[in-house]
Amino acid sequence: MDICKQNIRKYYLELGLSFVFYAVALILAMHFGYRMHRGLLRTLILVAPMIPCLFATWAIVRQFRRMDEYQRLKATEDVVISAAVTALVTVTYGFFENAGFPRLTMFVVWPIMGGTWFVCSMCRLIAGYIRGKDSE
Amino acid sequence: MKNLIRELRAERGWSQAILAEHLEVSRQTIIAIETGRYDPSLPLAMAIARLFNKSVEGIFFPGD
Repeated sequence: MDICKQNIRKYYLELGLSFVFYAVALILAMHFGYRMHRGLLRTLILVAPMIPCLFATWAIVRQFRRMDEYQRLKATEDVVISAAVTALVTVTYGFFENAGFPRLTMFVVWPIMGGTWFVCSMCRLIAGYIRGKDSE
Repeated sequence: MKNLIRELRAERGWSQAILAEHLEVSRQTIIAIETGRYDPSLPLAMAIARLFNKSVEGIFFPGD
């Protein structure tokens, strides 16, 4: 197996484990946190699912460092595009809120950025597949 | 920049995947370099030159 496929496997394993821990922490936090009275302990328990997200961040950084230079360039482009789209959408919606639209939770920001990132990556993957077929 | 990587690879009967494995990069990177869409860094260009036993200038040259 080539080194890129090995790296992808490691990345999926590390990221997958992080998501499993996140799901478990989220279920436990919601189960116990919502039954508690307001206070520091409740806040800490409700925010606890973010600890496995630190592991996910670590997995992403590790994978970014394992990429070769071209993959790293393209991944950076994807992040820049998704950050720009997220800024456009969130600022635009901020003006809509000023005009009376309902206020949204900050939880919507990540799905916008993640969704755009996913679409960019998929477009690149499909284009790469087509180019790869052409250049054999 | 243009380059002779496709020709050099064909001379040795290597696929893009085999060349990628030799250079420890992805096949997408090889495709991008071969098609002129990406100019490799100096370390990667030197690794390519070393692999084909040529100078960097013997493989890469200015395009149109």
